[in-house]
Amino acid sequence: METFFTTSDKIHNIIKSFNLTKRLFVSSIIIGEANIGKKSLAKHIFPNAFVVSGDNQKKVESALEDYDEIIITDFEKLTNQTTLNLDNKRVIATANYIGNSGRIDDMFAFVYNMPSLLERPKDIEYVKDIFIKKALSTLSVDESIIDRDKIAINLSNNSKSLEKSIFLHILKFSMDSEEIEDILYNHIYENLDGNDGYKQYLALYERPLIKAGLKKFGSQLQLSQVLGINRNTLRKKIYEYDIN
Amino acid sequence: MNTTSINFKPFIEWDNNPFILFNYQGKIIYLNNASEILFGYVSKKEIYDIAVAYAPQNFGYKTTALSLNYDSFIFHAITVGYEDEESISIRLYNTPRNRPIHKIQKDNLIVTDINILLEANLALFRTKNTNPLTLLTDQDLPAFKIDQNSFSKLLRKTLHTFRASASIDISLKLLFGQYVIIEGRKEAIVELDISANGRYVDRDKEIDTLAQDTNIRCFLKESSIKLEIPLIRD
Repeated sequence: METFFTTSDKIHNIIKSFNLTKRLFVSSIIIGEANIGKKSLAKHIFPNAFVVSGDNQKKVESALEDYDEIIITDFEKLTNQTTLNLDNKRVIATANYIGNSGRIDDMFAFVYNMPSLLERPKDIEYVKDIFIKKALSTLSVDESIIDRDKIAINLSNNSKSLEKSIFLHILKFSMDSEEIEDILYNHIYENLDGNDGYKQYLALYERPLIKAGLKKFGSQLQLSQVLGINRNTLRKKIYEYDIN
Repeated sequence: MNTTSINFKPFIEWDNNPFILFNYQGKIIYLNNASEILFGYVSKKEIYDIAVAYAPQNFGYKTTALSLNYDSFIFHAITVGYEDEESISIRLYNTPRNRPIHKIQKDNLIVTDINILLEANLALFRTKNTNPLTLLTDQDLPAFKIDQNSFSKLLRKTLHTFRASASIDISLKLLFGQYVIIEGRKEAIVELDISANGRYVDRDKEIDTLAQDTNIRCFLKESSIKLEIPLIRD
């Protein structure tokens, strides 16, 4: 069974309303940005419902004939919404946006607007924890290495971009030199072109080397000793790469 | 034809149009059966004031066409008359109603606990609004047949008109002694009354249409909406 967690009052009211009507034959729609848990919520409340995607009109039409309890995902993708008969069915639709609000208003008894992740700060922390655990396990990284507060999370595409940003962050701690070299190899192989390639791609290595070194050793003098290069050469490169 | 021996009082008594006789101080001397029900919805002072305002200049009777609306009572004319300084009478003419032409779609009617539908709609309302709500409901109302989907739409749209109201009072109760005839059967009535300090009226036409489609009588007022729902048992 799909699990669903939230601390949002709005979503608790949506769940309450769904729980009250879960035995009734009413049509409901959950509207909200992509990747905020609409489908998970519907599956959590209606675990036995037949699930069909709105990107296939015919499948949706035949599902409505064959089943009494249906989840229609991506409702906005249906080519002809008005031909659907939702009477006397338990229909739960999800949509990332609504094209024609009047039509949705007429078709559905319950119209829910689900808040995005950005509007649910406590939920972000919960989902973040799940993704961190998943990434640590998948990438075999020791939890003690990670400072969860230093993860720069990206919520532009809700849970999808959040998961990506967490994986990318933890990935940095999972790679050895060989894997980093492989990544550089692939990147250079795909992109190397023009007539200034050496200088351009050398920066891929030199810039992080100097930035990390400065952060770690504090002074240019000490770094030049650690790197084994002349202080003036180091200063020139700092200027060249515009490193503060 | 000699009419003096005929007692006209029962005709007035059982007339479907309200008839009231006031004394010069505005006290009721006589009222027929239809008026007794009417006074459940309007004060006697208001009717007396109307009688005085539309009284003929001299002794006699005057009929005026005007539109009066008290809840489910709609009148299109009144006759005010007086023959002496002691009393004044008023008769209000009921406006004929169009009988609903909607045939009940029995296939769509499912035995439902109306309180559940109301609770679910209030939860939906609370996802979008934070207005304080009071709910007075009769939990002992029997389950009855409702078109769950259409009724939910009606409830949602009705509640939506109160989205900016400061506080909302909702009551759900059985109307004792009142019935509605649906397809030849006498059905009890459940009344849902939602009132506030004011409301939007932008969706009133849709609400009215939806109510008619589901055989519900609706009374749309400036700051309240009343739905009279037939309690169809079988």
